[in-house]
Amino acid sequence: MKCARCLFQLQNLRWFGPCSAVARVRLLQPCPLQMQELRHFHHSRAVLKIRPTAPVEFIEDKEKNKKPIVQDDLFERVAKKNKTKATFNRVVDVFTKQDVRRRGHVEFIYAALKKMPEFGVEKDVTVYNKLLDVFPKEVFIPRNFIQTMFNHYPRQQECGVQLLEQMENYGVMPNVETKVLLLQIFGPKGHPMRKYQRLMYWFPKFKHVNPYPVPLQLPEDPVDLAKFSLNRIADDLDAKITVYQMPCTDLNESGQEITFPHIVGIQSPSQIDLLAKHNPKRPVFVEGPFPLWLKKICVYYYILRADPIPPEEKVEEPYDPERCFDYPLQLDLDLDRDLGDEENFDVEDLDEGPVFAMCMTNHGDQATLNQWISGLQETNPILGHIPTLFRLDSGTRELQVSVDFKPGPNQEHQESKPETEERTAEEVEEQPQIRHSMKQ
Amino acid sequence: MNVNGILLLSKCVKQTGKRFLASHAGKQAVLLQQQQKRSFRTQSRQLAYAKDLFMGQVNKKEVFPFPEISNDEVEEISQLVAPVEKFFSEEVDSAKIDREAKIPPETLNGLKELGLFGMQIPEEYGGLGLSNTMYARLAEITALDGSIAVTLAAHQAIGLKGILIAGSEEQKKKYLPKLATGEHVAAFCLTEPGSGSDAASIQTRATLSEDGAHYLINGSKIWISNGGFADIMTVFARTEVEEKGVKKDKITAFIVERAFGGITSGKPEDKLGIRGSNTCEVAFDNVPVPIENVIGEVGGGFKVAMNILNSGRFSMGSSSAGMIKKLIELTSEYAASRKQFNKNLSEFGMIQEKFALMAMNAYVMESMAYLTAGMMDKPGLPDCSVEAAIVKIFSSEGGWICVSEALQVLGGVGYTKNYPFERYVRDCRILPIFEGTNEILRMYISLTGMQYAGKILTGKIKEMKKGNIGLALGMAGQKLRAALGASVDYGLTGKDGVVHPSLATIVDEQLVLKRVADVLINLYAMTAVLSRTSRSISIGLRNHDHEVLLANTFCTEAHFKNNYMLTQLQKHAPENNDANIKKIATQVLNNRAYVCSHPLERTY
Repeated sequence: MKCARCLFQLQNLRWFGPCSAVARVRLLQPCPLQMQELRHFHHSRAVLKIRPTAPVEFIEDKEKNKKPIVQDDLFERVAKKNKTKATFNRVVDVFTKQDVRRRGHVEFIYAALKKMPEFGVEKDVTVYNKLLDVFPKEVFIPRNFIQTMFNHYPRQQECGVQLLEQMENYGVMPNVETKVLLLQIFGPKGHPMRKYQRLMYWFPKFKHVNPYPVPLQLPEDPVDLAKFSLNRIADDLDAKITVYQMPCTDLNESGQEITFPHIVGIQSPSQIDLLAKHNPKRPVFVEGPFPLWLKKICVYYYILRADPIPPEEKVEEPYDPERCFDYPLQLDLDLDRDLGDEENFDVEDLDEGPVFAMCMTNHGDQATLNQWISGLQETNPILGHIPTLFRLDSGTRELQVSVDFKPGPNQEHQESKPETEERTAEEVEEQPQIRHSMKQ
Repeated sequence: MNVNGILLLSKCVKQTGKRFLASHAGKQAVLLQQQQKRSFRTQSRQLAYAKDLFMGQVNKKEVFPFPEISNDEVEEISQLVAPVEKFFSEEVDSAKIDREAKIPPETLNGLKELGLFGMQIPEEYGGLGLSNTMYARLAEITALDGSIAVTLAAHQAIGLKGILIAGSEEQKKKYLPKLATGEHVAAFCLTEPGSGSDAASIQTRATLSEDGAHYLINGSKIWISNGGFADIMTVFARTEVEEKGVKKDKITAFIVERAFGGITSGKPEDKLGIRGSNTCEVAFDNVPVPIENVIGEVGGGFKVAMNILNSGRFSMGSSSAGMIKKLIELTSEYAASRKQFNKNLSEFGMIQEKFALMAMNAYVMESMAYLTAGMMDKPGLPDCSVEAAIVKIFSSEGGWICVSEALQVLGGVGYTKNYPFERYVRDCRILPIFEGTNEILRMYISLTGMQYAGKILTGKIKEMKKGNIGLALGMAGQKLRAALGASVDYGLTGKDGVVHPSLATIVDEQLVLKRVADVLINLYAMTAVLSRTSRSISIGLRNHDHEVLLANTFCTEAHFKNNYMLTQLQKHAPENNDANIKKIATQVLNNRAYVCSHPLERTY
């Protein structure tokens, strides 16, 4: 996916010509010759007429060296301490009022886009609209069909597209205001408008593509979060959540502070039935922690499970012809096999052991989990007779790192950031698992 | 191997359908002339018409001619019917019974004096000793009030049936006389909170007392009709039985008197319809039942229950027919007098259609009910449980449609409590539910038929393997016929005639079974109609031309329905939407709610 996106960008860049964004130039370096040609081909005369001043390369160089730094400075200067939406908006206001001609607005917008995650406004459509508003209106709208055909004001268009792309990467749906602004700035046929149309085509289609959506705002309280996650894994509407212990801190006799971790468990009636039928001679296992990712948060759960029932212990309930008062539950046909009949149908049947219950806690040591098991005994008295083995990983520590791990805003590949983050975390995840199985 | 069996079976059903195609125009002669493709029997001859349809055989001897009763019996029944009819039209206030949710004692006494509490009890025990046919005739009239009909049915169609069919001579002598006069009222206690048709989940338990003279019954039963005041109850409970040295729980039937003590009845249920009938929970707390009160043998309760349930159903046909006939009278009067746009309601096509539907349904129900009753009255051991189930399904569903159409004729007027129609609608709603829900009975019909046909076919195949040349030739002939284009692929066999794996689980293919049952219901209905009409023609009954008209119309309709259903049963039939239906249901059920988002919702 990332690859495809890069390709797409490359194409875009070629289309827009060489005077594209500063940040992209490095990407394109392998084929400068081709670009030179392209540029000449793409630029309309009108462009040259309007902006005959300096060669494009010159401006680029200047930008590279000075402008972004200046703009970054503005952000640092205005919003020194608290980086919020309000201060971000103030920076934008300061810029727009600074200069009627809005000199350097493309650079400013690029800098602002980069700064957005820092200010925590990367998912706010109004902020994007405000940024778009920085563009001077009506100047970049092509006036005739030739201008429309060729790349009119490529740098500005590219900047507009870049802004929309960042919106896309953060999953921000443009609104009508965005559309109106784009119309005012680039006209109905500009590349940003096309980008907007593509966004509006795909975004609604994909909005509900996930049948198990994670809400934007996850509950803050660990107990609520655990309830939410357990419900999500269990996928059984009958499953009942029990809070075995609320988190609290207490002073013990010697004055030391003890914290009690929260223990939240889930079990469905069918799991209770299954456990009740479990052969008490065979042990059950408490295993974990297993990770569950909810957007950028990773939580851990533990399961109570047993090995699959060996075939010799399986009892098939014999058919009782006196079971149903009204109709035969089975047809008692004396069917024989014939020579041509195939004996076995190929059905892949993999037996998995039953999972009896799940729980979440923030402190996965044996003592805490023991508390969970004893809590479970209230609804499952049979647990008192079954040997319970704890097979726990000490992996939590490493995993904790992955939660805290926050890669700094990756400037080049912002769009792929959430993915890479998840992937690295998952890799960290798998290591203890592997070790765990080897231990066995 | 078994492929052939099932293929043949499905083919048979189809062929029978075809035969009726030929005969739907009322030319019963065609049916009579049809070549008798009688396969050799591996079982002794039994009276079974519907089951043999599964084998592709039309046992005409069973259904033609339409059963008649002797002149003496006709006289007797008309003497019986007149006072009952008078009683129901003059002394029964159905509206009041419905309003007060109670049948007044004087009405009950009137019923008892007429002998309606002992209709089928033999005369030697003080009952009327009516045959099934005569019982069905009286049910037509008692059905005019749903509450009374249900009370009577709970008393004698199921409540005391156990004693009647499986009780010992002593039990009969002891209980039947009082039950016949109505001094004692009976009830049938089978259903439990956790058990409808599932015998394995019956929790009520009977344990033998230490001296071995009593059983102690513990448990509770729900939805017991007459449970509030019944004096004698047929109770089914779990007992421990030793079988080949292994102790097993089996169901046993008991006669329990309220006088034994320990029986408490709950509050009567507040129901939608049949409000005058008493339905409540009955709890048994260490009720001592003497050992001689076991019906049949210990552990044999399952058979008793099945026989009672299977035998009680046929009368619903005549009850529904009686009710519809009454409704036709009531609504046609309204339709003829009410004017719209200077036209009588009865001149509008859509209203006329409703009356035709009602008449047709009543006619079919009557025919089926009396045909079945006649078959049951024939000497010998009749096996009419499938037929009875068919009658029950057809009449309960037809009854519901007719009653609501009758109400529709009256429009808003019918919806008010000033007219009896809304009461009929409410009363009628119970018919598809009780005495075995229609869904369960459909399963019963198709599975019993398949079991029957399957046994015979597998037996035949075994014979053939042993080298019975005649049989092999017969089968080869059938195969040849199938190869010449008479066969349809029902998707039951794979390549090289391998049995489709789904055949082992045909019991779980409820949608297929439902269609098979529906086909059979239509076939039986057509048979009954044809049989009755041909009799009417031959003996020249009054208005038999109208009967022919009804028969033609119904048979054409049923024939097309059957054709459609058989097409649906074919492999890859585009008419068959079962897979999608199942998918929709699963998604909705997994969600436990309506799945789609609201039409007014937006994504941007």
